[in-house]
Amino acid sequence: MKRKTIALLGNPNVGKTSLFNRLTKLNQKVGNYPGVTVDKRIGTLKANAKEYRIIDLPGTYTLFPNSLDEEVVFNILSNQANDDFPDLTVVVTEPSSINRGVVLYQQIRELGLPAIFVINMVDEIEQKGLHIDYTALENYLQTKVFKTNARSGDGIDQLIQNFDIELKPYFGAVDLPQKYRNALEDAKQLFPLATEYLTWQYLAQDNISSLPLEKRSALQTIRESHRLDTQELQKDESISRHDTIASDLMSIVAKKENKRLSTTGKIDNLLIHPVLGYIIFFGLLFIIFQAIYSWAGPLMDSIDTLFAFLADSTAAALPEGPLSALVVNGVIAGIGGIVIFLPQIAILFLFISIMEETGYMSRVVFLMDRWLKPFGLNGKSVIPLMSGAACAIPAVMSARNIENPKERLLTILVTPFMTCSARLPIYIVIIGLVIPDDTFWGFNLQGITLFGMYILGILGALLSALVLNKIIKSIRKSFLIFELPTYKAPDWKNVLNTVWEKSSGFLIGAGKIILAISIILWVLGNFGPNDRFSNPQPYIAEANPEFSQDEIDNEITAYKTEYSYLGYLGRGIEPMIRPLGYDWKVGIGLLASFAAREVFVGTMAVVYSLGEEVDIEDEGQRQTLFERMKGEVNRNTGKPTYNFATGISLLLFYAFAMQCMATIGVVKRETGSWKWTLIQTGFMTGLAYLVALVAYQLLK
Amino acid sequence: MQNNITLDKLKKGERAIIHSFRSNELPAKFYELGFTPGTTIQLKHIAPLQGPICVNIIQQDSLIAIRKKEANLILITKI
Ligand SMILES: Nc1nc2c(ncn2[C@@H]2O[C@H](COP(=O)(O)OP(=O)(O)OP(=O)(O)O)[C@@H](O)[C@H]2O)c(=O)[nH]1
Ligand SMILES: [Mg+2]
Repeated sequence: MKRKTIALLGNPNVGKTSLFNRLTKLNQKVGNYPGVTVDKRIGTLKANAKEYRIIDLPGTYTLFPNSLDEEVVFNILSNQANDDFPDLTVVVTEPSSINRGVVLYQQIRELGLPAIFVINMVDEIEQKGLHIDYTALENYLQTKVFKTNARSGDGIDQLIQNFDIELKPYFGAVDLPQKYRNALEDAKQLFPLATEYLTWQYLAQDNISSLPLEKRSALQTIRESHRLDTQELQKDESISRHDTIASDLMSIVAKKENKRLSTTGKIDNLLIHPVLGYIIFFGLLFIIFQAIYSWAGPLMDSIDTLFAFLADSTAAALPEGPLSALVVNGVIAGIGGIVIFLPQIAILFLFISIMEETGYMSRVVFLMDRWLKPFGLNGKSVIPLMSGAACAIPAVMSARNIENPKERLLTILVTPFMTCSARLPIYIVIIGLVIPDDTFWGFNLQGITLFGMYILGILGALLSALVLNKIIKSIRKSFLIFELPTYKAPDWKNVLNTVWEKSSGFLIGAGKIILAISIILWVLGNFGPNDRFSNPQPYIAEANPEFSQDEIDNEITAYKTEYSYLGYLGRGIEPMIRPLGYDWKVGIGLLASFAAREVFVGTMAVVYSLGEEVDIEDEGQRQTLFERMKGEVNRNTGKPTYNFATGISLLLFYAFAMQCMATIGVVKRETGSWKWTLIQTGFMTGLAYLVALVAYQLLK
Repeated sequence: MQNNITLDKLKKGERAIIHSFRSNELPAKFYELGFTPGTTIQLKHIAPLQGPICVNIIQQDSLIAIRKKEANLILITKI
């Protein structure tokens, strides 16, 4: 038997995802700002002795799409052939905006889909000063109405029990203005099988990606011959529905003073105050930054100790040799190099998720719109940019609810400049190597440098937006409209869930790549194509006739590394990176980083330990990666590999270069265009090369 | 008719009823979120230096933020 599909539809921020999580026991990210869910999500529910497919949809105010996330909704609900076309639609609302929920509900029923009506957040009815006559509402909507509280789970069982409900046919249709009658009759000829309202939807939308091209152009012809403007059609429907629903609901929903709104007003007087609002916002950013660096310290120390212990005991357990070097110096050191940053990443996600849950994020959009507009961005770009400080992948996706295609594209293109958590390990290692641990006016120099790197990321994003803004042509006018939700205390379960999911996702994702890259590097470094690798002594003797036997033996390891596959590869790209101040070993690190930046530290650990035997008995012989990197000498320049000039050059390269396959993949998917993806990768990497080059040449 | 001003001229705390629109350029999303003729609104907050404004749509108890530029297209009657 086919599983029944149930779709959750509703305005943004009414609790659809929270309900979905309750139903499926899956934990999807929720947040108290409109537009958290940007794609459909599917889960299953076993109940009533069968299995249901539950679909969580992005929030929308009507079926007419204004942005990409809303298009997902229309495409699913308008097309019976779609795999996700629901057998039952659950229209979710919250008490104070029932009117807007009814708009969606009517549209769905007029499309011919069965639907039930859910009033979520019933815990807030009292505070919002509402009284609802449920029987009258059920009669008016011609369906069942359910009350739920997605935070506590109240009412969910009742809802599930009714998933097989048989509904009577729905009567009623919106009053479409007479002047569109003829056009609608023409359009009906094109879609003989569709309901009248679906045909109207087709007529009133510009570009329906789910329709075949010839239907689209036929619709366009009808619009032209009747001189119809789609926005006008949508507007007329909106106003007509709005007026009828408002007067119909007058007797069903009674309103007194909304206490939540007045509390929210008081908080807003502070948080979006023209002056205080900004002080509070930047103060908050400062606190976040502080927290990341001070709270995380002790945790990081214990993780460091733990991994040192792990490395020691593994080295003791494994027989000495190259394999032990792979496990200890490659895999354990590489993964340790990521795990140690987990506390910082978790704290960052903690703050972002609290900002989302409480409703503060929308206020940030309100405060920042004016300042982002000159760069060709939109207030809503704040969310991708801020979450870009954690990871660019979800950040790029969160740009979906930006309505204007150009502003959305710009946001996607510049978000990867923000300093993501994967850059942190590299910055900290390199800053530790080349910036003295001194204080300057009471501030720690290394700390200032790190702060500077974050500022650099923001500048990189804004300035490239400015440049790209001049190049990209806009097809539509820019506008901004969004809802500021009432403040809520965060649901800590949600917050912790988000933090847990994001952090473990980061760790697992990075861990897999590090493991794979360590193994590849190890293989490449321990095998060579020719005699110079397998039998190096004669070559060394020939090149250095004055060498004694002992000196030749000392040279062997280095010589073999140089003539391994890895050595050939590194030396192959060396001419390109020599002007930036790097040698071929750093080159290997750079090359591997194009898969994902976070592998840099692990890669260097493998590269620098090649050919070395791990001998844990001898304390003196064992070096940490850090000391090893400090001792490295660039044989081209004779100077330390990591000196001030190369260090700065490396920092700048990592700040700007697009080194993350996963981000490239997401950008391709989100923009649907290889052109922009390649332009972005080229632009970022080119800029990185240029800036690193200039910096090195000036500083060396 | 002299009572009609555009929404961007409304001061913090003042109430008004939406009267009509100065052009059809206003995107349909504005109507969907409740900016329809006859609706009572109250201006709640104004961001500095020509930033967005925040309007309470009384009937729906919702707070909506829009830019001054679009507010300029909405004609209102002060009450
Ligand atoms: N008080 C209360 N809060 C709720 C309830 N259900 C959800 N919330 C909160 O409402 C906010 C929005 O919840 P989401 O589940 O993200 O809403 P959504 O409808 O999926 O939002 P979009 O994906 O943006 O369309 C979150 O802060 C939830 O914790 C409820 O029944 N009562
Ligand atoms: Mg959601």
